[in-house]
Amino acid sequence: MLVRRFPRAVGSLPLLVAFVREFFAEHHLDPEQAYDVDLVLEELFTNMVRHARGGTPEIEVGLALDGNTLTMRLRDEGVEPWDPGQAPAVDVNRPLEERRPGGLGLHFIRQVARDLRFEHVDGATVVTAVLEVAR
Amino acid sequence: MFRIDAAGDGAVRLIGRLDGAEAERAVASFAALEGSIVADCSELDYISSAGIGVILATLQRLTRAGHTFRLHPVQPRVRNVFKYAGLAQMLGID
Repeated sequence: MLVRRFPRAVGSLPLLVAFVREFFAEHHLDPEQAYDVDLVLEELFTNMVRHARGGTPEIEVGLALDGNTLTMRLRDEGVEPWDPGQAPAVDVNRPLEERRPGGLGLHFIRQVARDLRFEHVDGATVVTAVLEVAR
Repeated sequence: MFRIDAAGDGAVRLIGRLDGAEAERAVASFAALEGSIVADCSELDYISSAGIGVILATLQRLTRAGHTFRLHPVQPRVRNVFKYAGLAQMLGID
């Protein structure tokens, strides 16, 4: 698994995109296929930046490929246990004036990821997402 | 990077990546849009929930004022995200 640590800030997003491109190049994957990986990684990372309580200055991100299966793992140390996976599903069919943007990130992840798992182990929240990528 | 280019007569172009970092910076630019707007998104390469939030707020504001906000054309992967959000039809996206 290719692992790197990123500052706990929304400003890290361009670094995450570069990390994904590096991973795609290393595995000879078409960068045109990176959209869903960027989307899941951004939504998970910004969730940690904005909602996790406590935490070290950096968040660890890992990517691994097995065949067409890409596994993404984010490890957030020193945070209180939290599981955004328990948040109620967003209703995207509500009338325009009743719509609020909250909850869409997790909704998007559920649209494109095959599996999503939240764990709290030894003071760290570990989130694992599994996606399929075309080769 | 993300930017909005005005093309006149309510036509604008959304260019770049509208991610969580850029969406915060783009709030003021979207708030400055007035009247009915058609946004060319052919060069909008990426959008996340943060970007969708800014688009949603703009759509709600312009609709309340009696105007329309349409996105056309839109790249396929960006279009998928609007569909996931349930906003494609409201924004005139095919």
